[in-house]
Amino acid sequence: MEYIAYFFIVVGLIFFLGTSIGLLRFPDFYTRMHAAGKGDTLSTVLILVGCIFAVGNQGDLNWILALKILLIINFVFIGSPTATHAMMDVGERAGAKPWNKKGENK
Amino acid sequence: MADLPIWHYDTLFLTLALLFGITALAMQNLMGAAIVFGAYSFLMCLIWTTMGAVDVAFTEAAVGAGVSTVFIFATIYNTGVSATPNSPRIAFKIFAGLIAFGTGAFLLSALPDFPDWGDPKSPVNSTIAPYYIANSITDAHVPNIVTTVLADYRGFDTLLETTVVFIACIAIYSILRIDNAKSKVTEPDIITSPPAYDPTDSLIIRQASRIMVPFMQLFALYVIAHGHYSPGGGFQGGVILGASIILLSISFDLKHVLQQWTEKKIMILTALGVLIYAMVGLACILMDGVYLDYAALDSVLPGDEAYARSHGILLVEIGVGITVMFSMIGIYINLASNGRFDRGL
Repeated sequence: MEYIAYFFIVVGLIFFLGTSIGLLRFPDFYTRMHAAGKGDTLSTVLILVGCIFAVGNQGDLNWILALKILLIINFVFIGSPTATHAMMDVGERAGAKPWNKKGENK
Repeated sequence: MADLPIWHYDTLFLTLALLFGITALAMQNLMGAAIVFGAYSFLMCLIWTTMGAVDVAFTEAAVGAGVSTVFIFATIYNTGVSATPNSPRIAFKIFAGLIAFGTGAFLLSALPDFPDWGDPKSPVNSTIAPYYIANSITDAHVPNIVTTVLADYRGFDTLLETTVVFIACIAIYSILRIDNAKSKVTEPDIITSPPAYDPTDSLIIRQASRIMVPFMQLFALYVIAHGHYSPGGGFQGGVILGASIILLSISFDLKHVLQQWTEKKIMILTALGVLIYAMVGLACILMDGVYLDYAALDSVLPGDEAYARSHGILLVEIGVGITVMFSMIGIYINLASNGRFDRGL
């Protein structure tokens, strides 16, 4: 059980690393938001799933803890992509140009 | 966790907090500074958590990192994003620097007089804290000692804290509120121009907040009612309730919220919370107790005297929650609509 928890948390951290690299390295606003929105959501959910497995040895009421973490996962899953969508939308209205092959921010 | 001394975490978090603080002050773009300031608040929240002060951490997360960031954003939205660097005369700079350093040196000079970190012989730990720890359960059947201290042993403090929140809300109203019909002041363009982006357009944002708001409110009620057993209480729950309404007014429209919660309702309910708190105290006097001694209420509340104190704590927490919730809503609406109550962010 403990090793399953470690597995999920480590995989989540790897995705977080990818998110950070993508956020810094991608060429324009949209691709950066894409990295942040997708990677952030997935890695947070994975780490929280790892936490669900980690609460297995917390006593009698661990199923309540697991349920609460499930609810948090639900909220992250709804909230984080919505926030990304809002920022994308604002960026589009503010006139951020998508990157193309000919030149940056043409 | 057990191997590492706690000050390793503290050193890490404090260094980061210092870094974030300096960054927030140095940034010229105020929006960026506000975001960094939110991160700073969140670090403070982590510091409280490592110290074991979970209630304080909860408050910091809800107020510092959550709602106050929204307040700062609302203010920036109405005043402009970039900081205009004003260059005062050199003498004034030296004067201000002297005052800052003098105050800092004065505060640091008091540092050696503090007891050591976690010293069991310090006055706080040797006189009154053991009483709270030993008697919280027998006095009020409340396992979360922080709640007992906050609402029962030090009920006067909390009553006045709630009053401070109320007064802050009143002050914001009296400074910012403008009656559109009577006002002759013309506003600069930056304030009267319609918002470039209207989030009410977006179906996704509306639906997502429509799903989340009821759960936020349910959670807030749980935080208020369950404050006896877990971190939380009136302040935290009230802030979350207020934040749920603020989320509604951001994702829908300010008008949409003001249809349900008119200005009059918000003002009355802000005052009602403090009134509930004060009236519970007055009821204790009428039942032959002293002010805010909930044990005197045991003839009207179910259970014995200890349970009467537990229920009295719940009553005042509800009062605190109502005041804090509507103070947050009132402050937000004033800041976001520049006191005109016509449109939000």
